[in-house]
Amino acid sequence: MTKLIHHDIAIKHVTGESVYINDMLVSDQLLLGKVVYSKYAHAKIKKIDIKNALKVNGVKAILTHKDIPGENQMGPVIHDEQCLAKSEVKFIGQAVVLIAAENDFAIKEAEKLIKIEYLQLDAILALETAIEKNNLIAPYRKIEKGNVNKALKKSENIIEGELNINGQEHWYLETQTALAVPGEGNEMKVFASSQNPSETQAIVAEVLGITKNEVEVEVKRMGGAFGGKETQGNHVAAWAALLANATKRPVKIHLFRDDDQIMTGKRHRCYGKYKVGFNNNGQINAYKVEINLDAGSSTDLSMAILERAMLHADNAYYLPNVNIVGIAYKTNLPSNTAFRGFGGPQGMAIIENAIDRIARFLNKDSAEVRFLNFYKNETFNITPYRQIVKNLRLSKMYNNIIKSSDYFKRRKQIEKFNNKNEFLKRGIALTPVKFGISFTTTFLNQAGALVNIYTDGTVLVNHGGTEMGQGLHTKILQIAAKELGISYNKVKISATNTSKVPNTSPTAASSGSDLNGMAVKNAMDTIKKRLIDEIIIPEFKKLFPNCILLKQNIVFENNFIIDKKNPKNKIPFNEIIKIAYFKQISLSSTGYYKTPDIYFDKKAGKGNPFYYYAYGISVSEVEIDTLTGQYKLLRSDILHDVGNSINEWLDKGQIVGGFVQGVGWVTTEELKWDYKGNLLTHSPDTYKIPTINDIPKEFNIEIMKNIPNVRTIYKSKAVGEPPLMLAFSVWLAIKDAISAVGNHKIEPEFSLPATCEVILLSIEKIKNKF
Amino acid sequence: MKNIIKFILDDKLTEIDFFVQSEFKSTTTVLNYLRALPNHKGVKEGCSEGDCGACTIVVAEIGGNNKLIYKTIDSCLMFLPMLHGKQVITIENIASNKEQLHAVQQELVEANGTQCGYCTPGIVMSLFGIFKNYNKPSREIIENALVGNLCRCTGYEPIIEASKKISEYTKSDKFFEKEKNTIKLLKRIKNNKLISINNNNQIYFKPFTLSEALKLRNENTDAIIVNGSTDIALRQTKKNEFLAKIIDISDVHELKYINNTDDCHYIGSGVSLENLRKYSSKKLPQFKKILDVFASLQIRNIATIGGNIGSASPIGDLIPLLFVYEAKIKLKSLNNERIVEIENFILDYRKTDLKQTELINEILIPKYNKSYIINSYKVSKRKDLDISTVHGAFKLKLEKNKITEIKIAFGGMSAFTQRAKYTENSLNGKIWNRKNIEKAMKVLYNEFTPLSDARSSSEYRRLVAKNLLLKFYLETKQ
Repeated sequence: MTKLIHHDIAIKHVTGESVYINDMLVSDQLLLGKVVYSKYAHAKIKKIDIKNALKVNGVKAILTHKDIPGENQMGPVIHDEQCLAKSEVKFIGQAVVLIAAENDFAIKEAEKLIKIEYLQLDAILALETAIEKNNLIAPYRKIEKGNVNKALKKSENIIEGELNINGQEHWYLETQTALAVPGEGNEMKVFASSQNPSETQAIVAEVLGITKNEVEVEVKRMGGAFGGKETQGNHVAAWAALLANATKRPVKIHLFRDDDQIMTGKRHRCYGKYKVGFNNNGQINAYKVEINLDAGSSTDLSMAILERAMLHADNAYYLPNVNIVGIAYKTNLPSNTAFRGFGGPQGMAIIENAIDRIARFLNKDSAEVRFLNFYKNETFNITPYRQIVKNLRLSKMYNNIIKSSDYFKRRKQIEKFNNKNEFLKRGIALTPVKFGISFTTTFLNQAGALVNIYTDGTVLVNHGGTEMGQGLHTKILQIAAKELGISYNKVKISATNTSKVPNTSPTAASSGSDLNGMAVKNAMDTIKKRLIDEIIIPEFKKLFPNCILLKQNIVFENNFIIDKKNPKNKIPFNEIIKIAYFKQISLSSTGYYKTPDIYFDKKAGKGNPFYYYAYGISVSEVEIDTLTGQYKLLRSDILHDVGNSINEWLDKGQIVGGFVQGVGWVTTEELKWDYKGNLLTHSPDTYKIPTINDIPKEFNIEIMKNIPNVRTIYKSKAVGEPPLMLAFSVWLAIKDAISAVGNHKIEPEFSLPATCEVILLSIEKIKNKF
Repeated sequence: MKNIIKFILDDKLTEIDFFVQSEFKSTTTVLNYLRALPNHKGVKEGCSEGDCGACTIVVAEIGGNNKLIYKTIDSCLMFLPMLHGKQVITIENIASNKEQLHAVQQELVEANGTQCGYCTPGIVMSLFGIFKNYNKPSREIIENALVGNLCRCTGYEPIIEASKKISEYTKSDKFFEKEKNTIKLLKRIKNNKLISINNNNQIYFKPFTLSEALKLRNENTDAIIVNGSTDIALRQTKKNEFLAKIIDISDVHELKYINNTDDCHYIGSGVSLENLRKYSSKKLPQFKKILDVFASLQIRNIATIGGNIGSASPIGDLIPLLFVYEAKIKLKSLNNERIVEIENFILDYRKTDLKQTELINEILIPKYNKSYIINSYKVSKRKDLDISTVHGAFKLKLEKNKITEIKIAFGGMSAFTQRAKYTENSLNGKIWNRKNIEKAMKVLYNEFTPLSDARSSSEYRRLVAKNLLLKFYLETKQ
C-alpha cells in the first residue's frame, strides 16, 4: 500500500465543492430554525409569552417544552439536561424557546416579541465556589497504589502546590448545524454535524417520542469537531427535528458564531492540588493529587472525562506510591464536554508542572528529571491502575530528540542569552506524552461496517466512523482498496448513516481508524472468502486447468486476482464480480470488530483500560518580553509515535494540527466570564486561537520509524488526540523563561493558559521578591 | 443610477436591480448575497465579523496604470453596492476547468493543506491574492497575507509549505489571459454616476465624486458615513442594528491620494490601511510597525484611515501614534473647510468633533527631523489580528540628554485615546536616564484607571503602560 495519498476530498475542498449541511440545496419549503436561550445563569421561569411572536408574518412555529411530544429529559449518559428548559434555567445559553420561520427577518422580529419572565436565583459560577460548597455532580473517584502518606513521610523532599487550568473553546470552523426533513408518518431524517450519529438518532427519537427505526441520521462531513460534536451536536439536531415535526417542513438550524460559543460546553476547567515526594536525584517516590473538574450544569461526559484525567495523572512517569482523587462539580455554566484529549491534558498538566518544580527545587535540568522518572521496561512499568506498560519506546525517543533538537547545547546558549539580556528572556522545555488508546467505557470499543460491491466492480464502504477533517475516510479508503487489491478510484466511502451501520460508537478517543478500519477489514474478509470459495477457485480451475490454485496463493492486487505461484494466471477483479453476481453470490457484507482484552473496574480503579499507548516528545524554545509578557515561539521539535503509519501525510497533519491547537490552549486562548455568568470571550474578536503567525518559527516534525504496533490494523497507532499534549513543552518553556528573571531561584506563579497577563504578573512578583 | 449596481461575477456582467430583487437589501453583505446563489456555496460564514477569513473573496478593480488590482476581502464585511464596477472572484471561479486546478489549489492539495475544509475556500482565495500580487513572496509576506484566515485543523505548517511553492509558477493564469477583456467590461459599467438605492425602507447613496458626497452629506445629516464598512458592517451583523440611511464614500477617488512635502504627509481619508502600510514602509516606519499588525490584509484592503479615525474607537490602533505625531484632520463640508488637531477631534468614547455636514477629507502627518525620537508599541493577547490591550506612543526631543519635549499617548487605557500628561510633565526638563524614567513609571502607573475586560485586567494594563515607557527609554539608548 502506498502510504502517501492525499485527503480523499482535498480537491473538492480547494474548489469549494465539498458540501456541508449549510450548503445543501434544499427545497423552497425550507424553514430556518432559531433557539431563544436563557439570559440568566440560574433562574426560575415564571412565564413564557409567545402570543405576539406567533403573529409575525413568516413565522411557522414557536415551541416551548410543552410542545415536546416525547421526552424532554436528555443527555448522553445520564438524562439530566432538558431539551427545552421547563421551569428553571441553569446557565446562560440554555435553550428555552424554538422558532421556525421562512426567513431571517421574521425570526429576528419574533425573537424580539417573545417575552420570558424570570425570577433570578443564586448561581454558582466559579469552580472555587463549587468546591467550597461541595456541589458534586457525582460521587468522587479514586485510584490508589502503594501507601502514599507513608511514602511521603519517607521522602527526602516534598513539594506541595496547586494549579489552575482554564477550559478551551473548540472553535470548529463550522458551527453546530442540523437539517431535519420530515418523511411520511413519524419518519424523520436528520442531516447532522455530529461525531455520534447513533446517539443523535437516539435523542431525536426520544424527544419526538418515536422509535429509533423511524429516525435516520446522516453525517457527510463536519467542518471540524474536536470533541465539540460528540454530544453537543445532538441538541441542534433535536431542536431542528422538533421544529420539522411541528411544521412538517424541512428545518435547518445553523448557529451564529457567538451563540455557538455562548451555548455550548468547552474543555473542562480544572483545579489541581498535589503533593509530591522525591529523592535528591529527583526520583519520585510518592504523588498525591486531587483533580477537580468543572462539569458545568449537567453531567454530559464529565465522569468519563474525569476518569481519563485520573488515568493520565501519571503521564509518562512511574509512580511507586500514588493516590489520585477525581471530583467533578456542578456549576451554572454550559455543560462542559469532550475536547481532544478528553481530560488527559488536565491530568497531565498537573504532573508536568510538578516535575518542572522538582527540577527547579533541586537545581537540575527538567528534561533529565523527566527521563529519570519515565516508565521503564521490567521493573518500573506498572501504572497506578495496575496496567503494565508494554512495548515502551520513551527512552529511545528521548535520546533521539535530545540529539536532534540539540537540547543541551541550546540550554547553554539560552543561559548565555539570558545573562546578557535584562528584558528579554528565553526558555526551553522538553515534555513527553503517553496517551492511553481505547474508550475507558469498555463496551464502546466496537465498530461496524457495511461493504457493497456493485456489478461494475466499484465498491461503496459504509462504516460507523465520521469524517471531521482528520482523514478517517481516506484511511478507510486505503484499507478497502488494499484488501480488495483495487485502485482507489474504484472505492467510495459513503456518508455515515445510521440506517447502514447501526448502534455505532462516537468517532472519538482517537479510535476512528483502529475500530472502523478493523470492521471494514472484517467485512472484506467475509466477501473475499465467499469470492474465493464460490468463484475464484472454480474459475481458475476452468481457465487454468493445468495449475492448481492454492488458497494461500490467492492475492488481490492491481485490480486482478492473481495466483502468486503462477503470476501469469490472473482474472480481473470486475470480471470476478460480474461472475459472482450471475452465480447468485452476495456482494455485500457487514463487518464487525471489538477491541479484545480490555476491561476496567471503575470502582476499584483497577484494570487494563487501554489496548496500547501512543507516545510523543517535544522540545520547544520561547522568548518572552519581560516588560509586556508577550512571547515568541522560536522553535519546536516533535518526535511522535504512530506505529506503522497507514498514511504519514494524514498522521503528520494530526500531529501538527493537534500541537498547534494545544499551543492555543496553553497560551492565548482565554475563557472569561463576567460576574453574572456571561461569557465575555464569545467571539473570535476576544477569543484568540492561533493564527499562522503563532506557530513555531522553526518547526521540525518527525514520525518515529520502524516501531510497529501490535494487533492493530496494519500495526498502526491512533493519532488524533495525543499530539495536543505535546504543547506542554511550549507552556513550560514559557515558565522556564519567566524563571530566568529570578535566576531560577524563585518558583514562578503559573497557570494555564500562560497569557501575556499571566506571564507579566508572574514576572512582576519575582521582581518584587528578588 | 437608481437602484441598480453592476459588477462582474463568473466572468459575466451581473446586474442587481434592488427595485426588482427586493430579497436583497442595499446592506446585504457580499457573503450573504453569494451564499444565496445556488452555485456559490463555497464561500463560508465562519464568524460574520472579519476575524476568521472563511468568507474571503478576491475583488479586482482597475488600478492606476490601467491594470487590474486584486484584493482579498472579507465578504462578510462588505455591502453589496461596494461591488459596483468591480470583478468578484470566488473559490468557484479560479480553476480553469474540472481537470485543471489553479496553481494555488494544486499546491494546497499537494501540501496536504486541507483537513475539515471549511476554512479552505478562504485560504485558497488568500493564496490566490498572494499569487496575483507577489512574484517571490517571502515568509513574512505569506504570513502577513494569511493571518486573517483562521484554521483550526492543520496547524498552518502545510499552508506555509504550499505558499512557498506558488512562486515557482509563471504568473499567467486565466485571469491574466482575460485581463484586457475584463478591463474593457469594467470600463463599460463604471460611469461614476451616483448610485442611490431605496428599498426595504433603507436608503443607500454611493457617490463617486467628492462634491457629490459633500452635497449628499449636506442634505442627509442623519446618514451614516461608510468609508470602508469594516466597522459599520458589524453594527448590522453583530448588533442587529437597522442601518436606515448610508452614504458610502468608499469609492470616491478624490479621497485616495497620498502626497508629501518637506514637512508633511497628506493622506486622503479614503486611502486604505494596506496602501498606507505600503507607503509607510519607506516613509513612516513607525506607522508600518503598527499597520503590520493592524487587523488582517482582508480588512486593511478596504478599511480606510478616515474610517479608522472617524470611528474613534477607544483603542483605534493608529490614533495614539497620530496623537504624538500631532496629526491634523482636514474636515470638509459643502461650503467650508477646517483643520483640527487630532487631539481636539477625538472627544470621547466613539465621539468626534465631526459636524453633521462634514466629511473627513485628509489627514496631515507632520514630518520630524532626526532630533526627534518617535516610537509606538502595540500590546495584544495575540500578536496578529487582535485589538490592542494597550497601545503606547511616544515622541521625544533631547538636548544634551535633557528632555525638551515629550509626548505620550495611550490607547486602551481609558474610554478614548489620551495623553499621559502627568507623566509628560514629570519628565519635561529632566535628564533622560533610567532613574528619572523609573520615577516617571510610578506616575504613569497611577495616571489612568483602565477597565478590566475580556482582553485583560486593569492591573495588567497599568503595568504594561509603565513598562512601555521603560521599553521606549531602553530603545533610545540602543
